[in-house]
Amino acid sequence: MLSYQSRAALDVLIPSTPCVLSPHSQLSKMSYYFTILSPTDTPIFNIAFGTSKGGGDGIARFRFPDTAQYMNQFIIHSSLDIVEEAQWTNGGMYLKHIDTYPPATAYISAFLTPSGARFLLLHQPPQLPSSGTSGSLGSSSLLGSSASTTRASSSSVAANPTSPQTEEAIRQFMNEIYESYVKTAMSPFYKQGMEIKSPVFRTRVTAAGKKWL
Amino acid sequence: MTSPGDAAPVKPPPSLSRGVARSTSKGRFPEGPESTHSIDAELPETPTATSPTTSLPTATELPVRSASPHARSVRSSTPQLARSSLGSPFDRNIDGSDDTRSLIIRAFSPAVAIFASEDTDELVRNKGFQGGFSELIRPFGETVSGKVVIRDSVGSSRAWEDYGVRFMNLRGFGRIPTGRESARDSPLAQMEEVLAKQLITGDNILGASLPSKDVLGFPGTSPLSKLLLRQLLSSTRPAPHETFSHPVASVIAISSRNTAPLETLRQLYSESSSGHSRLPDWVNQEYLRYYVLVHDEERDDITESTKLYDQMKRHFGLHCHLLRLRSSQCVVTDDDSVQVPTCEWLSPMEHLSGVGEAETLVDLGTDGTPYLFDSDVTAIKTFVRELIVQSVIPFMENRVAVWNDQVASRRRGFSGRLVSMMGRRFAGLGSGSRSSGSGPGGSGNFDPALNSYSPETPEAILRKMADFAFMLRDFKLASSTYEMIRSDFGNDKAWKYHAGAHEMCAVSTLLNPLSMSAKIKLENIDQMFETACYSYLTRCSDATHALRSLSLAVELLKSRGGSATESAAKWAMRVMDFGLVGPVGNVLFTERVAACYASKTPAGGAKWGARRRKAGMWNILAADQWLKVGQPTMASGSLEEAERLYAEVLETEGVFPMPEMQRFVDGLRHAIKVGYLESRGFGAHDETAADHSLGTEETSEKLDKRNHRRSLIGLPGQLDAGNLNIPTSGRDTENQPNDDFERA
Repeated sequence: MLSYQSRAALDVLIPSTPCVLSPHSQLSKMSYYFTILSPTDTPIFNIAFGTSKGGGDGIARFRFPDTAQYMNQFIIHSSLDIVEEAQWTNGGMYLKHIDTYPPATAYISAFLTPSGARFLLLHQPPQLPSSGTSGSLGSSSLLGSSASTTRASSSSVAANPTSPQTEEAIRQFMNEIYESYVKTAMSPFYKQGMEIKSPVFRTRVTAAGKKWL
Repeated sequence: MTSPGDAAPVKPPPSLSRGVARSTSKGRFPEGPESTHSIDAELPETPTATSPTTSLPTATELPVRSASPHARSVRSSTPQLARSSLGSPFDRNIDGSDDTRSLIIRAFSPAVAIFASEDTDELVRNKGFQGGFSELIRPFGETVSGKVVIRDSVGSSRAWEDYGVRFMNLRGFGRIPTGRESARDSPLAQMEEVLAKQLITGDNILGASLPSKDVLGFPGTSPLSKLLLRQLLSSTRPAPHETFSHPVASVIAISSRNTAPLETLRQLYSESSSGHSRLPDWVNQEYLRYYVLVHDEERDDITESTKLYDQMKRHFGLHCHLLRLRSSQCVVTDDDSVQVPTCEWLSPMEHLSGVGEAETLVDLGTDGTPYLFDSDVTAIKTFVRELIVQSVIPFMENRVAVWNDQVASRRRGFSGRLVSMMGRRFAGLGSGSRSSGSGPGGSGNFDPALNSYSPETPEAILRKMADFAFMLRDFKLASSTYEMIRSDFGNDKAWKYHAGAHEMCAVSTLLNPLSMSAKIKLENIDQMFETACYSYLTRCSDATHALRSLSLAVELLKSRGGSATESAAKWAMRVMDFGLVGPVGNVLFTERVAACYASKTPAGGAKWGARRRKAGMWNILAADQWLKVGQPTMASGSLEEAERLYAEVLETEGVFPMPEMQRFVDGLRHAIKVGYLESRGFGAHDETAADHSLGTEETSEKLDKRNHRRSLIGLPGQLDAGNLNIPTSGRDTENQPNDDFERA
């Protein structure tokens, strides 16, 4: 579903990229992949979106080639190791940035809910100049297309995933989603662990993403 | 003068390392079990290992666990480590536990140059060694029989089971650096080639070793990555900035056939010190000379030789040896024939030219593996032991002590620091701008034109002293000396020296057994590797050394355990990011990342703290990459490993909660199976026939599929509810063909 969505998005975008996007928007397009995991690690909600700040168009462009979109899930799943560890050492519900996947510079932030569901947000800044140069030496085969993506500066706030501003923005985003999640989960037709299919919830998440990220 | 005959059987070595070294000489691959054995002490899976884990009082385990996983902390809480240097803590705690460390330690062995006269080489060539005297004794230098006792700078002695030296031909030494520029990148390319070759030739052996790896639990270091590491450690050529491959001693050999022995010895000496065989200028010429008389047991008279030997001793002092060899060639059918061990440390170039490749292919032909008479082997072993124990090591200990006294201590004191700083400052002022390339600030001892220090300068001597201390395994002195000089090189803009000193400083700190218990700052170590890597790669574009330092970082940090393993994984990812390795190397480093994560164990018996999912993911990635380089057998090994790791974190075995992961893994499984069958010559259509006729890997995969299908039928309701919509539809389409093909 996700891959279909983003593929469609890319199909639309590729021919029009030069004219639609201003140079500025290319600088700071973060891509986000947001997942809610049930206590049994089953994903109950998935959404991929891009930043809407700084002229972003809200469409995710991950660095993986189109055929490797499963990597998002692999990375999220692998970061559960860290979530499990961090949840005992961190008192808050929002665990901040907990994990990184260096080969694709993907960052994971996590939020715990009392019911055991976990919100995981994978955010991936666009190719940084530094990793661009090292990538040109020969990137791994998994990221085959990564070397060709645009170079961008890390100066903008949104492009620096570990800055306090980003942490704060994600916290706001998570809190807003938590509120919607609680409301959704309290619906009499929703059973714990079920997939969230509510379109209202999806639009709320999208709106929160637009607002904060 | 203990003969190895009576020294060896005294007691079996407590460390695995020598046993491994032995076994590698036969074939490279059966060493899997040993390595696994050492690692799985850290894993809670094996029932034997669980007991220390659970019995650990959880209360004492800090939640921060910054430096030690429990396995390590059990070890470090043993009192032996607290005693500074009594006994030999190394033998029990480090060598026995981790042979990768031993491999790394052995990689930095002193080099001994061989300079043999023509008649000696002639004699040895008659015995079937075309490379002459150096080729004959080279394999015997790599492991010295019996224990070697070394005194460190504090004066305490320690016995080592696995000491060795590297014999090399002095005549070849000077020639190598000339072709250096042209073939700068070649060692890495050659390494890749060796790996690829090994994959092809060793396919069957590898395939056979994979299941055994699984039986024993966890693969410590796969044979291939060990090969890669060994290749890497032996691929660096002699260079000015590190003195490990500079000869510590040179063996000047003549034979009893020589008509004018003493003149020949003199001539050889002068040729090696001033003639055309002189070492390059950047090598310290102050090395030990050792004189050997090779006596031909069959043709010459022993009384004559003894007389000559006595004469030699009078002339040259104690550093002499009479080596009695038989001059006829030994064949396998002889009564007392002994196979010559193969060299463990072959550079990639030698591997490709086939120096050590004779082992498996040759059956009885005399052209392949050479044989020696038992008496010859004993004589050579005695010679090597005597050379090392009585001459080389005392010489090195002496040099370290002298340099430590004369050069290092002057720098160490407060006044020394002040003087060096002032000198630096004034020199900088005097020469105008410090930043100009021509007049590098600092001592000005660095010659930018030659890109080296001359060997008499304090910097070069300190580096040599640190290297000597490292080779004598006095890691404390080594690391403090590297620490002392590393900033000097940066001031002088001697970047290769700078990188080398940082690299070795970090390595020796990690190898120091005493810093295992004391918490050394991991950030410092990381910083040092970072600097080393940057200097090597960006400033000197020396990829081989950069890769070497990164690999050392990975292996040593991994062997420390605890949070260091994540650092190790990070460095391994860095290697791939830099693109230092080819496709096969890339897969191997992916496997290393997985191994690093897998070696991270939960803290204090808690459920959390392990990195199973990460390790599993990296194994999946490795399987994917193996498939891409056309190695379905290896891929299936990685996949099995991943399944084993995932089994503990997944609710239902083989079923991933994430639909896209599931799809990918299913696809991978299928692709591996097809690839495997095709590589065995089965078409895609007669897979079922193959299913019955094939061996172990297939059955295990089939079991997994079963599991998986059963679990599909009887999914727990909770999971079902979550999964029903997207995933099942996706999975059904994926599984339909699978079912068909198994049923058909």
